[in-house]
Amino acid sequence: MAANRKVKLEEILAEKGMPISFQYGGKAPEEMVDREVKKEPCERVKKLKELYFQTLSSATVEFPYWYTRKYDELEGEIPVVRRAAALKHAFSHLTPTIFPGELLVMGKAHYYRGSFPMPWLSEGYFMAKEDELYQSALSAGRTSADEVSKFGTGGGNVTQSFGNVVSIAGKFGIRKEEVPALVKLAKAWVGRSVDDLGQKYEKMVPEYQLKENIMKSVICMFDSGYTLPQGREVINYYYPLQYGFDKLIEMCEEGKKRVAGKADGDGIIGMDRLYFYEAAKLVLEGIQAWILNYAAEARRLASITEEAKQKKEYEEIAECLEWIAHNQPRTFREALQLAYTIHIAVLNEDAISGMSPGRLGQVLYPWFEQDMEAGRITEEEVIELLECHRMKMTLIDCFASMGVVGGVLSGNTFNNLSLGGLTRDGKPATNRLEMLILEAAMRNQTPQPTLSVLYDEKLPEEFLLKAIECNKTGTGYPAWMNFQGGLQFILDQYQAEGMTVEEARAWAIGGCLETSPCAWMPLTLNGKKYEIPGGAGQPTSVGVHFIANPKVLECVLFNGYDHRTGIQVYPPHNRKLETYEELWETFKEYYEMTVDCLAKCNNIQHDIWRKNNMAIFNSLLKPDCLTKGHHIGNMGYRYNATFNVESCGTINQINSLAAIKKLVYDEKKYTLDELRDALLNNFGFKTAAEVGSFSLAEQEKRPDGDKYDRIYSDCLLAPKYGNDDPYVDSILKEYEDWFCAMCRRYESLYGKPLYACQISVSTHAPQGAATLASADGRLAGTTYADGSMSAYPGTDRSGPYALFNSATVWDHSKSQNSQMNLKIHPSAIKGEEGARKLLDLTRAYMRKGGFHIQYNIVDSKILKDAQKNPQNYRDLMVRVAGFTQYWVEIGKPIQDEVIARTEYEGV
Amino acid sequence: MANGIKHNDCRNFAPVDVAKGICRVKNELIFIDGEPCEKFEMLPKCKNCSNFINVDKDDIGTCKGFKDDYWSFGENIAVTCEAYQIKCQN
Repeated sequence: MAANRKVKLEEILAEKGMPISFQYGGKAPEEMVDREVKKEPCERVKKLKELYFQTLSSATVEFPYWYTRKYDELEGEIPVVRRAAALKHAFSHLTPTIFPGELLVMGKAHYYRGSFPMPWLSEGYFMAKEDELYQSALSAGRTSADEVSKFGTGGGNVTQSFGNVVSIAGKFGIRKEEVPALVKLAKAWVGRSVDDLGQKYEKMVPEYQLKENIMKSVICMFDSGYTLPQGREVINYYYPLQYGFDKLIEMCEEGKKRVAGKADGDGIIGMDRLYFYEAAKLVLEGIQAWILNYAAEARRLASITEEAKQKKEYEEIAECLEWIAHNQPRTFREALQLAYTIHIAVLNEDAISGMSPGRLGQVLYPWFEQDMEAGRITEEEVIELLECHRMKMTLIDCFASMGVVGGVLSGNTFNNLSLGGLTRDGKPATNRLEMLILEAAMRNQTPQPTLSVLYDEKLPEEFLLKAIECNKTGTGYPAWMNFQGGLQFILDQYQAEGMTVEEARAWAIGGCLETSPCAWMPLTLNGKKYEIPGGAGQPTSVGVHFIANPKVLECVLFNGYDHRTGIQVYPPHNRKLETYEELWETFKEYYEMTVDCLAKCNNIQHDIWRKNNMAIFNSLLKPDCLTKGHHIGNMGYRYNATFNVESCGTINQINSLAAIKKLVYDEKKYTLDELRDALLNNFGFKTAAEVGSFSLAEQEKRPDGDKYDRIYSDCLLAPKYGNDDPYVDSILKEYEDWFCAMCRRYESLYGKPLYACQISVSTHAPQGAATLASADGRLAGTTYADGSMSAYPGTDRSGPYALFNSATVWDHSKSQNSQMNLKIHPSAIKGEEGARKLLDLTRAYMRKGGFHIQYNIVDSKILKDAQKNPQNYRDLMVRVAGFTQYWVEIGKPIQDEVIARTEYEGV
Repeated sequence: MANGIKHNDCRNFAPVDVAKGICRVKNELIFIDGEPCEKFEMLPKCKNCSNFINVDKDDIGTCKGFKDDYWSFGENIAVTCEAYQIKCQN
């Protein structure tokens, strides 16, 4: 090997003038540049945050134990009542822990950052790897994604067992003493969990074997029915905030009297209403008991605490909880505590990721307004409470399998708080409380709740500039969503269920960036009438999730065969693919086969879920379950057409199609077989497994790899998305027009059409890890481009406006979302002038019809240093793909991808 | 560790995570796996309850505190359990 021969991909690309970590619009300063806007949390929150930084993700079996015990006792009971009684039993037996200094209290479990498995959903994946249950799950293809998913090894993740702590599901620690109980609980659900029952009936789908192949090859990332059956939706706090729990229980009792023994014209589910009201009452009682257990603990702590301030705070906590366990809250603090309690209760009812608070500043405004007018609270006190709220939301962990929590979520829980938007009558919906929410988010910078601005031209400049100031802290939030674009999607998708323009204006983001239907609810506080928004739709985290677009294209090129696993995934098409059109048609055929079989299997999983594991508390919160007497499974929600098809790796697929079209079909420079040979041989590079890393920067060339230099170079230089190049952008448009229409041809178990959802979350790492090299020059096993509209790192070389032109060649309102990440050097947007530039840039994208844009305002040198010295960066946060996460808690492939993104030095 | 008693067997211990917690008496972070001090106050757990019997090597036993017998485990915290009855200490 010549002494100057380049081996690392990073060096090879730099030599070709295409460096990883490309800088556009100038050159970053040599020295590391910190973020311009820096603020500190209040003293109380600083201590709570410091404790968080020392805290491990911890699991306990307390909730599942009490749940299973009652569930077993009630064999033969009506399923919804049996589940409700089990939930009540579990909630009322949770051990309350209150930590010194907390103003807002309660939690998922008794640990500071606690969570627990739900074996009634799936029992196999959290077992020890040696266990037969785990092996059985693995052979069924249901844990294939686990094997290509990586957790960050820092922060609170327990990725290795130590001492008396056992690591489970790749992230959580559990006490060794609890493991026998965990195993016993898991075994108790064998054959009756949603996973097991679902699999039994999924096998009756004629295309089941195709589904297994798809899962094993990680063309699909995960099944939603038994992993995360709910989420990426907007919660609705309205009913407890308006009525209080006592009144809600009374309403359930009245409901029972009203419907008992009556079908009222509905011969199929009319009689079910009685059981739902009984179930709702039981769960409400359980949550009341849970709150009162915390109140009692606060009283106990007050009684043993000598320090006067802390003693008084425990007493105030007790008073607050004792009141909200029964009544409508009276103050802002009580309302915020109740909202948080409701949130945690919903998350304890089911495995959920992306339960978003919605427009919390508009929901809580009545209490804020009246407290401020009465002089009961100051803005600084409100900010302190909001900082505490951020801390409590950040403590939320979601317990699921490694493939889901690591590979999809990067450990994030996506509690997205929306700001802005319009009111029912089309006026700006922002208020003073939303300004304080932004301020609290700047002072206490935490991943949860992440923030989203629902951008509309009518929103006041002061509010928009405050949001930009928040962006400049480098937290990655708020993200910017196109309010009018979302409105069009909502009207289109939900008009068949009665959606109007006025109601559509209540929409908010559920999860990272899932446009979700909401409703306006009439609230009365001390005789004054308000209207507050809240979620009114089913989860949008459900459906066909996530399809690896480049992997489908790979299967087209290799006649349906997956070389990584050696599985014939799809039936061989046996076509010569002599034209680009034939290639494209075959891609569509394989893709449609994928959606078809996954949708059918997914419908079965969710049908089992709705029969045995339905949401009861979340149901009663959302209109119109309490009115109709029906839970989610009986379509009690106002909007039910929420199931979708999620894609991943769009831009690598589009760039690959462009390269194939140009090099094979238009210029005929290479045959398809030559391309296949190059892809199979990873363009002369070692495999990611050989290198021991799936990260872009670390890929190395083989000593004998020069054979593929020419084709590799041509693939890299083929037209790339993000440069306002019609050659590749027209391919994107054709794909999007087909994809958005195709999704609607499939039906959910609720008889509603699916739709397109285009986010990647973190799946671009594991799905990239499972994909061979692609024709765009991406090497085997390396991470895809994030999101759906972000350019592949280093390939957007013509500036942000060219990128925007490429991204908006199609109509974003035909999809639930699209996703665009930009990384900007802090010096590019410095000062007031820089802030205005960033706002102008955002406006420009929104005006072109882009749905979403978000920013990493960070010097890439800091990220590189953080990779080398993670111990110095425990609090560093980055925007990944629709969410903000602590750097040390995300896996290396995603870290590398964020580092490699083009850095804009000027906007 | 005397009789296998750990810090998380004490009522004054606030469990932060699976490894450590806050001692409310000393107001400091301590590890679970450590010997309690003289201020130890027993936390209700199944292993301290007279209704918890027939315990096996994995610390799994039978709870007789409710209408129907059911299995339980010794480390199960019983602060909220209506059937908890402290075991007579010999």
